[in-house]
Amino acid sequence: MFELKPMLSALWRNKISALLIALQLALTLAIVSNATVIVQDRLEKIARPTGIAVSDIISVTFMPVPVNYDMASAVAADLELLRNMPGVMDATVTNQIPLSGSGSASTYFTEPNQEIGGENANYYQTDEHFIDTLGLNLVAGRNFTRADFDVIGPNDTYEPRVAIITQKFADVMFPGEDAVGKFFYSGGDGKPREIIGVVERHLGAWPSWSKAGQVAFYPLLVTGNHKRYLIRTEPGQRDVVYKQIEEKLAERDPQRVIHLDTLSKKMAQSYVSDNVMVKVLSAVMTLLTFIVALGIIGLTIFWINQRSKQIGVRRALGATRANISRYFLVENTLIAGTGLVIGMAAAQVINHFMVNQFSQPALSMATLLICAAILLSVSVTAALAPAIRAANISPAMATRSV
Amino acid sequence: MIGYYISLAMRSLRGTPILSTLMIAAIAVGVGACMTVLTLNYMMSQNALAHKDDVLYAVQLDGWDPNEAADTANELPWQLTYQDATALLRSDIPTRQVAMHRFGFTITLDESEMRPFTADARITTADFFGLFDVPFLFGGTWNADADFSPVQQVVLSKATNDKVFGGENSVGKTINLNGEPFTVVGIIDHWNPSPKVYDLNNNPFADSEEIYIPFGLHRKFEIYSWGNTNGWSHSNEEGYEGFLQGESVWVQYWVELDTAAQKEKYEEYLTGYIRQQKEQGRFQRPLKFALSKPSEWLVLNEVLRDDNRVLGWLSLAFLLVCVVNAVALLLAKFLRKAPEAGVRRALGASRNAIFIQHLIESSCIGVLGGLLGILLSLLGLGGVRQLAMGRIDQIASMDWLMVLAAIGLAVLASLLAGLYPAWRISRTNPSIYLKTQ
Repeated sequence: MFELKPMLSALWRNKISALLIALQLALTLAIVSNATVIVQDRLEKIARPTGIAVSDIISVTFMPVPVNYDMASAVAADLELLRNMPGVMDATVTNQIPLSGSGSASTYFTEPNQEIGGENANYYQTDEHFIDTLGLNLVAGRNFTRADFDVIGPNDTYEPRVAIITQKFADVMFPGEDAVGKFFYSGGDGKPREIIGVVERHLGAWPSWSKAGQVAFYPLLVTGNHKRYLIRTEPGQRDVVYKQIEEKLAERDPQRVIHLDTLSKKMAQSYVSDNVMVKVLSAVMTLLTFIVALGIIGLTIFWINQRSKQIGVRRALGATRANISRYFLVENTLIAGTGLVIGMAAAQVINHFMVNQFSQPALSMATLLICAAILLSVSVTAALAPAIRAANISPAMATRSV
Repeated sequence: MIGYYISLAMRSLRGTPILSTLMIAAIAVGVGACMTVLTLNYMMSQNALAHKDDVLYAVQLDGWDPNEAADTANELPWQLTYQDATALLRSDIPTRQVAMHRFGFTITLDESEMRPFTADARITTADFFGLFDVPFLFGGTWNADADFSPVQQVVLSKATNDKVFGGENSVGKTINLNGEPFTVVGIIDHWNPSPKVYDLNNNPFADSEEIYIPFGLHRKFEIYSWGNTNGWSHSNEEGYEGFLQGESVWVQYWVELDTAAQKEKYEEYLTGYIRQQKEQGRFQRPLKFALSKPSEWLVLNEVLRDDNRVLGWLSLAFLLVCVVNAVALLLAKFLRKAPEAGVRRALGASRNAIFIQHLIESSCIGVLGGLLGILLSLLGLGGVRQLAMGRIDQIASMDWLMVLAAIGLAVLASLLAGLYPAWRISRTNPSIYLKTQ
């Protein structure tokens, strides 16, 4: 019913052209499927929950000009001012801005004076407003109080007494146990830090870090030559508040340089290389599919023109329009199918190379089959218009110029 | 003859506008995508110190945790501790040597309306400018004794001098850094190597620093690095001095060794230094250090990341698909015009002449596709620059070499694509076509 035998012999006469189309589809499948896994991987990475109310937060970094600056009083006065601004929900002081790519990390242990077998965590020095400001979810224990808070100089030796940690860090340090009330230690050190609370999630400073989400917080202000604030605004008020902050802070104390950013921008900057990868690969995939489709259209039209006499003869001998269209569609499916089978093998080979050489994710069979199905439908769609046009060739063609 | 072939080719291209446009577009898109990615990779692989590649070395010492190697490509910490850096500075073997790190200051001027701003600073020894070939516009560097004692002098970048002093020769003038007066001793000319081979810890595509400060001011200003500070052991000493004498690494170190003998001598010196430190209970790991040339340093620090390589290969594969596409279309086009070729053969044209004529036709497509491809890759680079949020502004641009490469690539691709179709058409038997006319 599909006229396979005459079709194959016709294909054999045009074997180079058919082969070229199959080859294009094979290469396209190999590229598209491998690009798809990379894009999927990066999109999943970017979409991970941060645990933070990113879109409502503004970050401020400031550096005072005078040498002997009273940082502790300045921070207290600034926070008071910021928290009383209309549209501001809460504000906190911090040593680093979350999700920004800058931060501090340390190695922690469950036993005193341990030196090996520790776990890494990103840490922040902040105050009791950090949970509300960041929009974190306290799942166990309690928040810091003013009594927990200490102020020290940049060169003082100091060991925090209490800490709040993320659930992820708690699970790593005390698997299967309740972390609240437990103690942990800095390397080679015997001074215990009590875990007084656990927050559900905080992705930390480096979203691409393998240990992202392992975070500890201490109620501490280390006075230094610059400090940072995080400000959470009412939903939708961020941009209004943003415009006022620099002026308000400068009004209170002009002797400093102030730098503002939104947390959304900081986060976008941290994901910038992933985002470039996603966009460039998507553009490549789209263009590639488009070009291949154009190629198929061009070649199908050419074949039909070449065979218009034969089509006329078939129509004169009783073939219906549907027969003619179907012939070209089946022929196209045959070629595309062959190409895609070759492409599936090539995709696996290339993926093997990508995984080993460039530490990219592995290609799953499901993704490969979906990509192949999409390309097959693109190929058939591309052949559709020329195939329908072929059916319009008049039987009278058979009588001309024979 | 070639002129005639070209005019024939243009006529033939106009004869089949849709097919020709498709082919030109395929080559253009392939070349455009390829050149966008290859330009980025090419710019990222530049070595601004190539002319001194044989004499400059980044120094790494293994004084890391006895229990665990440093987590870097060659298992040596990228930077040195302050105490090791100041000890190495005492050696007189290298022609020049630099200990340095990143920092930042607020800048103000006395009796000026200028708004205070923060400037990226490099805290460095005086050899920095000579070792990295930094050109001076006015003045020069500070005296070498400022590397060990607190001397409040500063070298400004051209941009900073333009901003603060309106571009005049400001040597001898005073600016306030973190509220303290510093005397300007030199202004460097525009100098902005990318990748920033001398400091790859921080963004390798960032701009050069705005001010340069002597290395002898750490204790006076209690300076902590604004770059990475990595530690593995807790210092027992208190205060800032405890930090300086601790095991945290935060100082970048480069030496200039002009001869092989000098290098050998310096290697012996480093071996001796580590042995001596071992006796004092430091450097408990196996004796290991590294001297890396700028070119090796760029590779070690993975400036060209895996993602960039993936994109490079992918874009070449993309171009390959475009070439295969062009082969199919050219074949279709040439075979359609086979009767014409048949007539030319019958009139005495040789197979070679037919072959050359069709190759020229495909290279015309290549040139047109290449020109369009350059436009597309400029568009692509603009897009990537936008996406990268200012991180790679310096490198997302094409130089003349890349423009030539784009046209070359396009012509090569279309010649490759035209090879088989042109051969095929030159082999057809003219008599078939003559009969059906």
